[in-house]
Amino acid sequence: MIVLGSTSEVAQAFVEKALQEGEKFEKIYLFTSNKETTERFARHIDVKFLQQSEVIELDLMKPIDYNQLDYVNSNLIFCATGYLGEGTEEGLYDNKNTERIIDINYGKLVPLMNYFAQKFESKRSGTIIGLSSVAGERGRQSNFIYGSAKAAFTAYLSGLRNYLFDKKVHVLTIKPGFMATKMTEGLPLNPKLTATPKQAADCIFKAYKKQKNVAYVLPIWAIIMMIIRNIPEFIFKKLKL
Amino acid sequence: MKPNFVQKVTNWGNFPIVEKEMKSEDSFKNIRDFVLNHNEVIARGNGRCYGDSSLGEHIFSTKRLNKFISFDRLNGIIECESGVLLSDVLEISVPQGYFLYVTPGTKFVSVGGAIASDVHGKNHHAEGCFSEYVIDFKLMIENGDIITCSREENSDKFWATIGGMGLTGIILSAKFKLKNIESAYIRQESIKAENLDEIFRLFEESESWTYTVAWIDCLQKGGNIGRSILMRGEHAFQHELPENLKKNPLRLKKKFEPTVPFYFPGFVLNALTVKIFNFLYYKKQSKKEVKSFTDFETFFYPLDFVNDWNKIYGKSGFIQYQMMIPKETGKEGMKKILETIANSGNGSFLAVLKLYGKENPQAYNSFPFEGYSLALDFKVNSKLKKLIDKLDDIVQEYNGKIYLTKDSMSRSSLTNYLKNVQSSKFVSLQHKRIINNS
Repeated sequence: MIVLGSTSEVAQAFVEKALQEGEKFEKIYLFTSNKETTERFARHIDVKFLQQSEVIELDLMKPIDYNQLDYVNSNLIFCATGYLGEGTEEGLYDNKNTERIIDINYGKLVPLMNYFAQKFESKRSGTIIGLSSVAGERGRQSNFIYGSAKAAFTAYLSGLRNYLFDKKVHVLTIKPGFMATKMTEGLPLNPKLTATPKQAADCIFKAYKKQKNVAYVLPIWAIIMMIIRNIPEFIFKKLKL
Repeated sequence: MKPNFVQKVTNWGNFPIVEKEMKSEDSFKNIRDFVLNHNEVIARGNGRCYGDSSLGEHIFSTKRLNKFISFDRLNGIIECESGVLLSDVLEISVPQGYFLYVTPGTKFVSVGGAIASDVHGKNHHAEGCFSEYVIDFKLMIENGDIITCSREENSDKFWATIGGMGLTGIILSAKFKLKNIESAYIRQESIKAENLDEIFRLFEESESWTYTVAWIDCLQKGGNIGRSILMRGEHAFQHELPENLKKNPLRLKKKFEPTVPFYFPGFVLNALTVKIFNFLYYKKQSKKEVKSFTDFETFFYPLDFVNDWNKIYGKSGFIQYQMMIPKETGKEGMKKILETIANSGNGSFLAVLKLYGKENPQAYNSFPFEGYSLALDFKVNSKLKKLIDKLDDIVQEYNGKIYLTKDSMSRSSLTNYLKNVQSSKFVSLQHKRIINNS
């Protein structure tokens, strides 16, 4: 298993869920920009499941030497890489913030995903799970830089799924909605609409096993987003969302 | 949306509720920043203490310190971060033939909390408190440094932290010993006792058993005072088990766990329903004595079976009153306590009596000493403070003590026994209440 964004609590919960369910992995490759906490996770799964893993430090904001990743191979990739950054009101005209959001959620992430997609394509097997966001379904004033990057990522995953379909590689897009993680800690989220990482992992695992194409973590989000997508633009633009 | 870490926080009793800053981090650097940038910091694990001990101005939640560090499967020594729950430990240790030496009545407490409260269980008379089996732990102190504390290294901090209610710093991780078991089952005997005399006699007769505890019907009066059921148990050996359990002795089947979906309306728990419950509980066992094999979950954690059971007490919450009276005068004191409760009509849904063994004089901040303790749940209402006052009087008269982990209402003279923990950095709501009232 290859994990991109290994400090993500959802990614970690998914790894645990898969191991609990008896999935076998020769090795888990934990890609991360934060070596310290990821190494603690690596030790954790070794203690808990006797699962071997390797921590690979990778910073999307720096050039990547793909030759060094030649040996990394698996049948499953879980991409939880993401960066929320400052919301639009605080960070719209901060170019550094904008670039970082675009790069980590899409710009620099896609070439890395492509690198692994190519490996899967040549083997003609495997599953790619990508965590996108409901924020990508319609641009809203509160965080449309993040939303637009996620929209691009959603489109990328959908295209990739189409492209890899007859190459026997499956692509699963996850749209989590609110999640109670480090990324959202301290934000006033409605608890009824917010999933814990463990809940998210259970749902993602189910969707993975069922070979779903697109899945929301909490079903309620499918309804909410259907409504949001269908509000006519002349009304939508006046809303404070 | 700017993050705002101020939120409503409350512990298991849903009383009191505060609106304070609460933050969780897994990076040690960020935890250090949190400690250095605030005064009045208190660590909080899973919030399973009942009262106000893990509440404060700036709460650091250890829920993200939830990783295992090592497990020596040969010697049964485990090391994990402080937010790991005892249930997480059991999940990996039981199938390997190891159990916690000491466990409280819920498995959903964090390892850090177990040390800070120096929890005890049904085996205190035989095996002492949680701290007996702690090898060392890492503590973040006032200046943000992380120190290792053990009986040899920083031993002053080690003993001050044990039972120290989080006032010495933030416990980051701990290493402790586990005990060997051959099965996940307990050989159990439950014996009915008509009254207080009989239950005290049974306790003393059962001292050779590793685990003993009694459930008391606290609404009985007169000659029936102390009507109860004693439960005693031992970890079952594989060869003792009935045939159907022998095959897979270390694995339990997954059980259905119901959840209390909402706070029950206030009227659901009243003197009458509590009386009916207690009556049925006592009558459920028809024979005087029942011998059985029961899985460890049912034996140690009967209430964990219902998720969020604290909600049955309604939104006003409840307190747990756990006090302890020295052995010599135990029976006399308990009788007075039970009489006072029965007369007040403010019944306790759950009343647990337990005999404790000798204290560990080094663990000077720990709660238990040789004597009897009674733990009672009371729904919070307008009459409760008066009852608690009366009970505190009796506890004081008999030189008793109140368990800080459960306390949120008792008088400070019964609880103010923490030593070597004075700090302006680590302060809890409970500590402030005790200091202000003394």
